[in-house]
Amino acid sequence: MPCALLGDRASGKTTFLGLLYSAQVKYGTGVQDDFRFHAPIQSLNIMSAVYEGMKDGRFPSATLKEEITELGFVFGYLRKVVGKLPYYIRQQNWMHPFSTLRFSAYDVSGEDIEEFIETGIASRPLIQQLLKSVVVCVLVDCSKMTTEIDTPAYKKMLRYDSTVAKLLVSFQTYKKQEYDRLKDSGVRADAPKIYPVFVLSKFDTLRDDVLARLGLHRGFPDNNRARKEYAEALLRVFVPQTLSQIRGGKVAGVSMDKSAYFLSWVRTETHEGMDPVGQAKIVRTGFAPEGGGEPDFSYDEYVNFIEHFRDIAHKIPDEILEAERFQAQVMARSA
Amino acid sequence: MPRVVIVGDRNSGKTTFLGLLYAAQVKFGSDKADGFRFHAAFESLDEISGVFQRLMSGSFPDAATKEGIREIAFRLSYPKTRLGVLSRRRSRGASPDPSASFQLILLRSFEDEVARWRSGGSVAHGTLSGALTSDAIVIMVDATSLAVADEEGELATLGKYDEAVEALLLAIKRSRDQAEGKLLYPIFVFTKFDRVDPKVLRRAKLDGDPPEVSKKGSHADYAKRLVDRSMPKTMSAIQSGGRRGLRFGTPWYFFSWVRTEEPLPGRAEKIRLRHSGAIGWEPDYPSDEYLSFLECLAGIAADTRP
Repeated sequence: MPCALLGDRASGKTTFLGLLYSAQVKYGTGVQDDFRFHAPIQSLNIMSAVYEGMKDGRFPSATLKEEITELGFVFGYLRKVVGKLPYYIRQQNWMHPFSTLRFSAYDVSGEDIEEFIETGIASRPLIQQLLKSVVVCVLVDCSKMTTEIDTPAYKKMLRYDSTVAKLLVSFQTYKKQEYDRLKDSGVRADAPKIYPVFVLSKFDTLRDDVLARLGLHRGFPDNNRARKEYAEALLRVFVPQTLSQIRGGKVAGVSMDKSAYFLSWVRTETHEGMDPVGQAKIVRTGFAPEGGGEPDFSYDEYVNFIEHFRDIAHKIPDEILEAERFQAQVMARSA
Repeated sequence: MPRVVIVGDRNSGKTTFLGLLYAAQVKFGSDKADGFRFHAAFESLDEISGVFQRLMSGSFPDAATKEGIREIAFRLSYPKTRLGVLSRRRSRGASPDPSASFQLILLRSFEDEVARWRSGGSVAHGTLSGALTSDAIVIMVDATSLAVADEEGELATLGKYDEAVEALLLAIKRSRDQAEGKLLYPIFVFTKFDRVDPKVLRRAKLDGDPPEVSKKGSHADYAKRLVDRSMPKTMSAIQSGGRRGLRFGTPWYFFSWVRTEEPLPGRAEKIRLRHSGAIGWEPDYPSDEYLSFLECLAGIAADTRP
């Protein structure tokens, strides 16, 4: 299941992927053993370099960021029924003990997106792959959230909102066209669905005056409904076009109603009364039985993020099977 | 899909109107109540989000942005509990789809086109051809062009503009004289109403501000008094009925304005942005009028459904 990761320049995409990898490593080596992951060698090379750097207190370098165009992980979730079986049975391959999900994140350049938006034609393979995504993960950089309307940050956010809204609409249009094609070919398919995921990146940089203006407190709630309300209160102000087009998907025949919201932060070293010079250093956790020397980041949020895909993993295969069946039929007809 | 053409004088605020209409859709389409949803077509979004960005940063659309906007297509829907007009039409056995698509078409330099057509050109080949098959026509009335004729006289008519709109309406009527039972909905939108000359309102014995849009009767009466006097030919064309062919529906009226900052020498006019509770900043404009306009479109969609 391809997952598109959208984020403005310097919105923290690589850091997000690095922290996700870090969370996968920690969560995937937990005692429970109900989550496993695999990374292809190219992705592993890049992610381990990012991970090493973070464990050394450094943010990803510009050179590393440039190397990333596509990153893939395979997430494996222990199926509930299997989890109840004796250990030696659930280890058998014929049991298919894990529901798997291919998580691919594409880092598409601004130029590629602009070209696609201007022409409406997905000529580049990366954009074509991007449009096939079932999960769209949008990074919203909290450091750019400001209520001062004459600042470059405010204008950047306005532009970013327009770009993401346009991309979401192009996703919807693509999915709807695919669905109509399936229907016309006589294939029964479920109505198209996209799972949007919003990640509020650099959440620790969100300014107090912004929160106060919106009547929000600093902590992100635990309860799903309250999380949604909290996140939407921010999105409503800073990316309203995106939020309205997510909701509007249903009107266009592509449901995007199952949005999920997560936040991301990584603690950096601060010296009282002094502004940091250059790139801030990442704070690392102390050593403990469950691990240590890790970047101090919103680990629980990343675990929630990984867990969010567990449900999707159980739903997606049918849709993929439909598409595969359709492809097979098309090939059979053309033969 | 109902087609709605928008006509107006040059600089009457057509692009700003569309930009504010989109801003209202974004506002109501992202609010906490989730009582209204819309979807903009990709091609339209590309253009209109440019206007939106300018409005939200306090600038009016520039010439390049205006040039890019020709037509906007969107689909809007109210959830079942707040279907309003759509639900009433639905319960009468119309289509079960609670959403409706629209195509809003801007007729640029329409007065020139009408003049060309009146001097022997063909309406079917110019930009006016879009109007011939429309379901509604939005007639923009620039409130700054309303004036008093003389010391004790009536309001001045909008002369050429009035004649051009009348000619267009009659051309549409003529081109569809075989269309039995068809209705064309006229919608008047007063733009820049915050700058209307107070003398005009005094002469027409009207208050400084129009009644709230929720007070439908008095709101329409207020507008009608201005339209009757400033666009008499257009009004007479709308009222001229016949037993056969296309008929005009009862006109709808709306008011639009966007407040601006105190002008500074050497600086372009800036839109005043207001802080608006849960949605941050927005241009200082009558969003309720725009919401009502959207409901009006929804009503037209319900009526024009086959």
